[in-house]
Amino acid sequence: MTASPGPAQEPTGPRPAESGADQPAWADHGAHAQQPAPAEPPAGADHPGHAMAGIEAGRAEQAGYAGQAGAVGPVAWPAGVPEGGEPRQRLHPLSPALHGAKSLVVVIAGLSWSTLSRVGFGWFAAMVAVLALGATVLALVSWYNTGYHVVGRELRVHEGLLWRRTRAIPLERLQAVEVVRPLLAQLTGLAELRLEVVGGGKTEAPLAYLTVADAAALRARLLALAAGAGAVPATPEPEAVPGAAPAPAATGRPLHAVRNKDLLVSQLLTPQAFLLPFGVAFVLAQFFSEGSTSFIAVASTLTAMAGVLLQPIRRVLDDWAFRIARDDEVLRIRNGLLETRAQTVPLNRVQTVGVTWPLLWRVKGWLRLRLEVAGYSAGESDDRNRPDRLLPVGDLPTGESIVTEVLPGVRLAALPLTPPPPRARWLNPLSRARLGAVLTDEVFAVRSGLLTRQVTLVPYARIQSVRLVQGPVQRRLGLATVHADTAGGAGAAAQDRDLAEARTLAAELTARAHTARLGT
Amino acid sequence: MSAPDRSPAVDGDDPAGAAAAPVSPLDPWPATVRWQSISHDLIWVELIRLALTLAVLVIGLAVGWAVAGHWFFGAALGAVAVLAAWRVVAIVRAVRVWGYAERDNDLLVRHGLLVRRLSIVPYSRMQFVDVSAGPLERAFDLATVQLHTAAAATDARVPGLRPAEASRLRDRLTALGEDRAEGL
Repeated sequence: MTASPGPAQEPTGPRPAESGADQPAWADHGAHAQQPAPAEPPAGADHPGHAMAGIEAGRAEQAGYAGQAGAVGPVAWPAGVPEGGEPRQRLHPLSPALHGAKSLVVVIAGLSWSTLSRVGFGWFAAMVAVLALGATVLALVSWYNTGYHVVGRELRVHEGLLWRRTRAIPLERLQAVEVVRPLLAQLTGLAELRLEVVGGGKTEAPLAYLTVADAAALRARLLALAAGAGAVPATPEPEAVPGAAPAPAATGRPLHAVRNKDLLVSQLLTPQAFLLPFGVAFVLAQFFSEGSTSFIAVASTLTAMAGVLLQPIRRVLDDWAFRIARDDEVLRIRNGLLETRAQTVPLNRVQTVGVTWPLLWRVKGWLRLRLEVAGYSAGESDDRNRPDRLLPVGDLPTGESIVTEVLPGVRLAALPLTPPPPRARWLNPLSRARLGAVLTDEVFAVRSGLLTRQVTLVPYARIQSVRLVQGPVQRRLGLATVHADTAGGAGAAAQDRDLAEARTLAAELTARAHTARLGT
Repeated sequence: MSAPDRSPAVDGDDPAGAAAAPVSPLDPWPATVRWQSISHDLIWVELIRLALTLAVLVIGLAVGWAVAGHWFFGAALGAVAVLAAWRVVAIVRAVRVWGYAERDNDLLVRHGLLVRRLSIVPYSRMQFVDVSAGPLERAFDLATVQLHTAAAATDARVPGLRPAEASRLRDRLTALGEDRAEGL
């Protein structure tokens, strides 16, 4: 995602040192634009090259944003107290041990069962021990060289021994701060702090590990600084800190708590769980027909089955004791069994809300709510880090009440969705009636999906751009698809609308997005 | 519907036509939108690009034919020729279709022949503007302006602009974006 407020428009010339950390991200951008572009490139044959150089300069500058004082790439390690800031702080001394223990699991998985059978248990244990020890030593070195401190309105994280890296995270761009507690961290009383920023390709700067009190204090401080920087208007950070204890009640007004029984049942109602008996039967049949029940075969089969079941089990573990609360303009979400996480999502950062009705859940009339927040990349491999769950499982009234909290005025059950014209059945023979789109007063809502029904809600103020796309078949049928793009996730697409309607939709979306932005 | 060298399309649309003619299905609000077309020199840039790709392909196939003498290589060459002819027509028409329009609050970009696309990008959502020019584009004195928003799906790229026009557009977008900046 290229959501960086880069100053590509400025042709050349170094950025003035003072415009930087002192302004919000977009104001920063504006500050650039305001400069009357002193080295205006001459219009002529050499111009494009010139402009390119400008872009390169802009990018390099952006990369060098980390340094701020002009330090790019291998930074000279500031030995003492850096300019105008507090001293650098190390992570908790137990961190390397925890990292080493974590790598133990990876090492065992990497060596696999077949290695165990080949080399015997003693050698296997020795290999594991050596590798884990190596990982721990590396973690120790990395811990020794890692430090963080707050300078002005930036959090700076220094790391690396050979390739030193200093990352500055401008707090205006902070989207959310999470305190995460994996199992090992819970046992040792530590926590991990994760920061999400706009335009970050991945979770920036996971500070692992801090003591719980430190993590909570730093989180409160960062959020307060971010709020002070004007990025999160009217987000007073209460003194109560959700990450302080393993599972305290979420602060603020509780909205909903998911019953763990419902969660278990909902994950049993998934294709994986349904297909498991068939898999077990198949494996058993094979065993009995061939009569080979060696330890390795059993272990491998069990591993494979665990792989299939991983997603439902993970969901159960992640969403255990799911609680959502509203605290002024902030949603506080707490969940997790082994790894307790406390997420704070400012409501004005919610880009889209997705409602899903999985096929098997229809028996119970359940649905799932998801939200997209800017700054969390869609391509992140471990999607558990994104605050995407608004409701892991719940019935319609619950879902409706939560949607109303997040998007005031939206009535989920009473969305007047209209299907595309009948001739759209040539493109969607089965699902035409299930498609739908509507412009309500507050949101743009679209529905899709034959088996797994989905509704996506996009508030007008969150629309980044509107696209009208017409494929060759659509052209013959006089249809078009309207996309509303948002900063997080895929946005919403009203498929196969009548052409005249699509145009009206696009015009309306643009106009409403404009007025909604003016209003906020 | 009177553009030269084009047969009327299925539903009679003709986006390559006169600037203000309400002809394309993806050309809404004809009264308020003044479409600007891009430089037709881009046709040459694209054709040279195509020729370079084809040259490699054709030489490979010709050598294969000369060495192996199998009829398959001849057939492949024929297919490549047909494909090339179709691409030439497509390029010429696509460049004529490509257009952009600056309205009060947003930039419109339309392009595409088979799949037609119209993007509406409010200036206030602009994150940054890219101006780029490859060696071929530079040889023809052209540049590409691309507008980026926080949404990855945003598709607002205007190729084939004269450098003067590119920098004018860039400055205008920057100025307007700064006026109305909203970010996320």
